[in-house]
Amino acid sequence: MMDKATQKIWDVIIIGTGMGGGPLGRVLAEAGLSVLFLEKGPMGAPAEEHRLDSEVFDPVARLVRGFWPKPMKATIDGRMTEFFAPLGAAVGGSSVFYAATLERPERRDIETTSNMPHPTGGWPVSYDEYRPYFAATERMLHVHGQEDPLYNDGPSSLITPPEISPEDKAMMDSFKASGLHPYHAHMAIKNMPECMECLGKKCPHGGKMDGRSAGVIPALETGNAEIIDLCEVTALKGGDGSLSHIEAIRKGKKLTFRARRYVLSAGALSSPRILLASRSKEWPNGCANSSGLVGKNLMFHLNEMFAIFPKPSSHSASKSIAMRDLYNDDYQRYGIILAMGIDVSYGEMVHYLNMAFDRSILRRLKFLRQFTRLFAAVSVKIFGHAKVFVGILEDFPDIGNFVTSDPNDPEIIHVHYRLAPELLKRRKLFRKKIKKAMRGQRAVLIGFQPELNFGHACGTVCYGFDPATSVLDENCRAHDLENLYVVDSSFMPTSTGVNPSLMITANALRVADSIIADISK
Amino acid sequence: MTNPAKKLQDGIAVVTGAGSGLGRALAIELAEKGMRVVGFGRRKNALQETCNLIPDERFHPMVVDVADADAVRKAFADIDKRGDVTILINNAGVFPRRDCLDETAESFMHTVAINLGGTFSCSRAALETMTKTGVGHIINVSSFADLAPMPAAAAYSVSKGAGQILTRALVADLGDRFPAIVINTWMPGMLATEMGIPDGLAPKVSAGWGVKLALWHDPELNGAVFEQDYEILPPRSLKGRIKDRLLGRGQTPRRLG
Repeated sequence: MMDKATQKIWDVIIIGTGMGGGPLGRVLAEAGLSVLFLEKGPMGAPAEEHRLDSEVFDPVARLVRGFWPKPMKATIDGRMTEFFAPLGAAVGGSSVFYAATLERPERRDIETTSNMPHPTGGWPVSYDEYRPYFAATERMLHVHGQEDPLYNDGPSSLITPPEISPEDKAMMDSFKASGLHPYHAHMAIKNMPECMECLGKKCPHGGKMDGRSAGVIPALETGNAEIIDLCEVTALKGGDGSLSHIEAIRKGKKLTFRARRYVLSAGALSSPRILLASRSKEWPNGCANSSGLVGKNLMFHLNEMFAIFPKPSSHSASKSIAMRDLYNDDYQRYGIILAMGIDVSYGEMVHYLNMAFDRSILRRLKFLRQFTRLFAAVSVKIFGHAKVFVGILEDFPDIGNFVTSDPNDPEIIHVHYRLAPELLKRRKLFRKKIKKAMRGQRAVLIGFQPELNFGHACGTVCYGFDPATSVLDENCRAHDLENLYVVDSSFMPTSTGVNPSLMITANALRVADSIIADISK
Repeated sequence: MTNPAKKLQDGIAVVTGAGSGLGRALAIELAEKGMRVVGFGRRKNALQETCNLIPDERFHPMVVDVADADAVRKAFADIDKRGDVTILINNAGVFPRRDCLDETAESFMHTVAINLGGTFSCSRAALETMTKTGVGHIINVSSFADLAPMPAAAAYSVSKGAGQILTRALVADLGDRFPAIVINTWMPGMLATEMGIPDGLAPKVSAGWGVKLALWHDPELNGAVFEQDYEILPPRSLKGRIKDRLLGRGQTPRRLG
């Protein structure tokens, strides 16, 4: 099969199978195009149901589980830490481990509105152009939930959610009594309430809709698509305004693939690294990089976590509450508040505390680091009975924030990031607002220091009209190359106030339409 | 969604070394509890005798040498056509009494190939199905021979001790990914069988416990070690025992039945 795949000229080759590549490949395959997915991670066994675990450290054991095999390096405000980021390397990408939150961004996330200028002046594609693709994504991924009572955006394609648990209902009533506007969060799960346990884990029943279950698997079922897993793309090759082929490596063997169109969807931390690794005589700055912007303008969200100890106490983790009361305010952009959906497990807690420790003034006293474990064990005893919520804080592009590969090991992602004074100021205001809004809820902010959400990277191959200030055009095709597209969260000019999943898929479906139109010309 | 315990019962149980002793008793007991059983063995006649003791075609004999990896793979592929393997009891084993000076490297490794290699081979083949369905229970039959090896038992002691490590290693690889595939070590006790001692336990009694364990499907059991009908807890350090006491979380061994 491998020989056939390397000899064939495919209509489209898609690198990466997450929320962008998976659904895009499905649409192309359903339209009759021949599609080849190349995925760095493994297919995995159907019955797997594990979560991301930063305690698994062996690179082979990590890759078998679909975790990014190597630790990530992050230089934040000049200080370097090394840790296992919540990144997948699996068929379905990181999305097989996600909590299936598919919230729509708001109009003001994408364009200037009457009361709020957009920080970049607006995306090249308008909110109204995206709207049908939001709806299409909601249909494709069986998204259920309630309309946001604060933001009427006209009809959506939401499926009526199942009855929420009595605990969540009590919590919603309590929020409402404080004047807040909670609603059933928008979640990509086929209507099987017993399946809700799969949030944050690989889903063995095909109930959670992700890059694998809603993208790759239906694409393969058309008979027009094939996948090669454990296949790492090492370089894009070509010149003269187009790609000629790509080079990859699978189990130590070098392979070459050819297609009429190429789609990069390896994630905002890896798509730019593949482009940069494709430096050549023709492209001294890397592929598609005449602007010099590939890898730059890296954004994350800041996570502001808080725990609520409900009265009466309940043991089930809340999964389905969202609210946008603090989405923006006083002309400042903040973001959505969501029930975390997953318990703060011991492992995540240790990871979180170690990261905080490495940045604190105690970091020189190495022996103290081991006490984070004890503290985590005790905390989990307490927080196990609390419901954890997260406020997502929007991040803006900054050319000084970027991603590279470690020069000694291309599998190691190195993130360089400065916490902008503007962001820290906004964070302070956000925390104040959360405290104020949660008065009367027995709530406590868990975070001490700014916590970057490494699962929400975006912006590193951004799109725009001007080839001098963007890498991709409005159809997410490289300004420099006629047959290369990028459809993961790299394309986003700003990070919006919601989880990026729905935005990624909606944009990928839009790009799929443009590829189909282009290829049939 | 069907519940995993029910799914387990609806599948097929494979017992290796089903032609005699404990293996035969386990096959009979599993069939009595309503399972469809496939028995592996090297001797056709012995397997047929087991078959004759089990009514209603609940037992299907297959002549398989567990040391032959190819034969094991083929056998499991055949079983796959009849249904999903949900239970595997790795019972087949040999106990050649041989002084180490009478052992050759080849004869030593042949014993390891049956006792340890067979366990891995069958587990690996059964996991092909179990990792698709997500449900399974693998029981590795073991002994305490590794703790204080007796004279003339080097290959047996080593392979049985390694079998216990294999249980733990399989759990390390699979436990987080497939919580409903439960893997245990079980020491049946000293039995009145060809391999055991004349005044040992009746295999039927021991098989009763083994089958109770096999049909007890609980992810919490993963990696647990049982001797006869009670659990052997992993040894705790003094520090660990103090911590347990302080946090009030000392473990009590579980019982079968």
